Amino acid sequence: MFYKCVILTFVFTCILFASGQSYEDKRCMCVCPSPAAVLNNTAGSDRKLYIGNVPPNKCNCDGVILPRVGEIIKGREQEFCPRCECKYESRNTTIIKVVVIIVIWVIMLLVVYMGFLICLDPLINKRAKASYQEHTNEDDESTISGPSQQLGARGNVLNRVTHQQDKWKRQVREQRRNIYDRHTMLN
Amino acid sequence: MERFPLKSSTSKMATTYQSVYKKGAINTNGRGVVTPGEDDMVDITPGLQQAAATSPTTPTNHGTFQLYEHSGRNSNASTNSYIAQYFNTSTGDAIIFSGMQGDTDDIPGIGQYDDFHTIDWQRDIARDRMRHRYIVKKRQDSLWDLIKGAHDAWSGWVCVLLVGVCTGVVAGVIDIGASWMTDLKFGICSQAFWFNREQCCWSSDETTFDQGNCSQWLTWPQVFGESREGAGAYIISYLFYIVWALLFAALSASLVRMFAPYACGSGIPEIKTILSGFIIRGYLGKWTLIVKVVGLILSVSSGLSLGKEGPMVHIASCLGNILSYLFPKYGRNEAKKREILSAAAAAGVSVAFGAPIGGVLFSLEEVSYYFPLKTLWRSFFCALIAAFILRSINPFGNEHSVLFFVEYNKPWIFFELIPFVGLGIIGGCIATIFIKANIYWCRYRKYSKLGQYPVTEVLVVTLVTAVIAYPNPYTRMNTSQLIYLLFNQCGISNSDPLCDYNRNFTDVNSAIEKAAAGPGVYKAIWLLFLALVLKLVMTIFTFGIKVPCGLFIPSLALGAIAGRIVGIGVEQLAYNYPKIWLFSGECSTGDDCITPGLYAMVGAAAVLGGVTRMTVSLVVIMFELTGGVRYIVPLMAAAMASKWVGDALGRQGIYDAHIALNGYPFLDSKDEFQHTSLAADVMQPKRNETLAVITQDSMTVDDVETLLKETEHNGYPVVVSKESQYLVGFVLRRDLNLAIANARRTMEGITGQSVVVFAGMVSPPAGPPPYLPLNRILDMAPITVTDQTPMETVVDMFRKLGLRQTLVTHNGRLLGVITKKDVLRHVKQMDNEDPNSVLFN
Repeated sequence: MFYKCVILTFVFTCILFASGQSYEDKRCMCVCPSPAAVLNNTAGSDRKLYIGNVPPNKCNCDGVILPRVGEIIKGREQEFCPRCECKYESRNTTIIKVVVIIVIWVIMLLVVYMGFLICLDPLINKRAKASYQEHTNEDDESTISGPSQQLGARGNVLNRVTHQQDKWKRQVREQRRNIYDRHTMLN
Repeated sequence: MERFPLKSSTSKMATTYQSVYKKGAINTNGRGVVTPGEDDMVDITPGLQQAAATSPTTPTNHGTFQLYEHSGRNSNASTNSYIAQYFNTSTGDAIIFSGMQGDTDDIPGIGQYDDFHTIDWQRDIARDRMRHRYIVKKRQDSLWDLIKGAHDAWSGWVCVLLVGVCTGVVAGVIDIGASWMTDLKFGICSQAFWFNREQCCWSSDETTFDQGNCSQWLTWPQVFGESREGAGAYIISYLFYIVWALLFAALSASLVRMFAPYACGSGIPEIKTILSGFIIRGYLGKWTLIVKVVGLILSVSSGLSLGKEGPMVHIASCLGNILSYLFPKYGRNEAKKREILSAAAAAGVSVAFGAPIGGVLFSLEEVSYYFPLKTLWRSFFCALIAAFILRSINPFGNEHSVLFFVEYNKPWIFFELIPFVGLGIIGGCIATIFIKANIYWCRYRKYSKLGQYPVTEVLVVTLVTAVIAYPNPYTRMNTSQLIYLLFNQCGISNSDPLCDYNRNFTDVNSAIEKAAAGPGVYKAIWLLFLALVLKLVMTIFTFGIKVPCGLFIPSLALGAIAGRIVGIGVEQLAYNYPKIWLFSGECSTGDDCITPGLYAMVGAAAVLGGVTRMTVSLVVIMFELTGGVRYIVPLMAAAMASKWVGDALGRQGIYDAHIALNGYPFLDSKDEFQHTSLAADVMQPKRNETLAVITQDSMTVDDVETLLKETEHNGYPVVVSKESQYLVGFVLRRDLNLAIANARRTMEGITGQSVVVFAGMVSPPAGPPPYLPLNRILDMAPITVTDQTPMETVVDMFRKLGLRQTLVTHNGRLLGVITKKDVLRHVKQMDNEDPNSVLFN
């Protein structure tokens, strides 16, 4: 189906774009109380973040915090450091980007298709129905199978796709009847 | 509970037949040697034995014993050739379960089932055995066949491998998509729109701890040029929150309505029913999968009180179903397919909680009906692969596959078991309130006008949830984050009001010591209490609306809130009275005494256990979540207490209650059948009605077609003659229709006057209309009981053997039929419920 082609093209363009911009994929994040709270013995709940891009084995007070605030807390490192929590984290920005863009595209495709089915499809079917009035009656099945038979002349592939689509629509209608009208399932 | 109904049954059957056969062999031939090939021989055609027993006039009798005689004398290798010979030559009197792969061209469609029918496990398993035998036989023919045989042997593992990989990938997509879209309600990352708030501020030093915002992350007021703080900004944020929530919920509901109505709800009750042997066409299809994934992302992001864990089981099962079609062994055999689905359900829970073993146990305890060891190992493998893949995707950037993973290593003291059990009792009560209210509301929706406005209902529920949830920071945040916050212990990096203890930062050792609660904690408790009530009420109304929604996360959140409140209470008790005997001196030193986060965890387990009535799998899931093996006993105590309270207050867990509400034909293997009725009371036809039967060799095609038109049974017993009513076998309506249509299409000269022959024809009738042989669709090994069999036994047979119907005989003559539907109706009738509520086609 050409929908798949649409999706694939966009995925590839997204991946191409994704390689252009780069973000940090690893970080060492340390959370400490503010130095003032420690040094001046004032009670305070302010926290400060220190984020550094260091290898995992250096993700600690010495590697990340002291290079930045070493001047302020000189001589009192032993007091300050135990109250810091350091965590090494990693992520993959490319995966995040690709996944989010795929999700957006899928949602948009589904919405567009839904709009098509709601707005345009009844018009097309009505025209088909009007031109072949003698073949159709009020029964659900035949209104659906009617046009598909008529469109059969347009070619094998299109015919098969239409047939599949009609079959699927019939199934969905049946599901809808079970759930929304008769309430026999999934209550 | 019997977990291996079919496994035990087959082995039992095999031994029984063996003994019968040995006796027969000794009596007739005096032969006593049993070769190792014997076992394989014996269970191949139980039908033959039974045929020999039930219809002594058929020529099968002789053939069977001759076959065994040969196999007794020959070596294992030649056994196969004898089987081959047997099947090649004597097609006239063997039952060949159709649907065999390979050269035999079959009537298309045989061996499948219609929508809303139950499957016949015995028949499907037998079909698979025949297929396997055929492959084993062919293996010696050529190298290609050998490769095909090897492919067949490992296809189960390959299939679960693929299911595991796909489940892991899809779970990663859902996790990343949902976390991004959830944060879209609050703002957008200015430089890279595809990041959520945390990822946006990933390498920024300036994150202020109050809100976790940074300059790259623009809240909606900032996008529109307002400041970050202030009344105007609050109103704009509030409005955007509501509008986004409504948009997401509306999209989710309309996608579900438009493309795949089966994608709504959690799916676990239906998966349970399907695994117990029911066919719901399209429930595990492609569109259901796509819409469920997309709808789940949307509905989780809309801030409704629902979770993604239950639907993950459904999504994994959809993947299992779709992928099983790549392997005809599983795709074309409904009973075998359910082995894959069991493994897929395990993978679903495995990725939902990052708990592979918990997933396997969940599949075993909660959803699966038929769970042989082989499936256990496959589930294990599938769960492992899925967890590995999700872990490599690393959707949350915390090296784990769930957001609320916490690591605990605090000891607990003996006295704490009392509050833990108390939490279990609270959890059981909350769970019962939830189940009763939710079932009441769902029943109301089912039978009232409310059910006619599914999309409107979703929108109203979303609107109310969003309007009430925003002012309270604990309900405003993502429920997973809330659970994480509650599970966590108050360390230095936690700046929530919940951790506003009067701690002294200057003392080096004071970081985790118990301390007096500050005003922030009391405020937080009030907010949490409000959040508890709100979440409970909203979840009652949410579970069952027509969007994909699970209830693991809401119930975990409910329990975590209750547990955290209790935990803070106990902690403050220990702080204020550290010397009382309760704490046996362990709290006097001040360090590591009571951890409120642990209470939150135990409370979460209690509520979830009360709602779903899980025990073992729940405890394993919880300790895999926390990585703390030492909390097994508290979790077990809470889960057990909660289950007891729940069972005392209300009989069923939420899934069983929903199965009952929908009337799915689920024969619960947990309940016992306690009535004294007999098979004769339950069987069809009732008195004064006649049983519709087909004779084995005297009815014409027209007769059969008239019978099919006039009656609506799904299967017909085949008897020797209408006068004698000696049973020959059982034939399904669907197979009969297909076979006649196929014969009219392909065979020359079949007219309405052709005689239909199932078995027993000694000499074919001469004359112009040729006879129509239908022996291939005849099941010559139907399970029979006598009319005096107690229903207890019959129900047991249905459960453990997975029967679709059993035939009732009296003095060896056919009397009637009991179908699964009859059994279910009877059970309902005996329990004073409406027997017509059972859903069948």
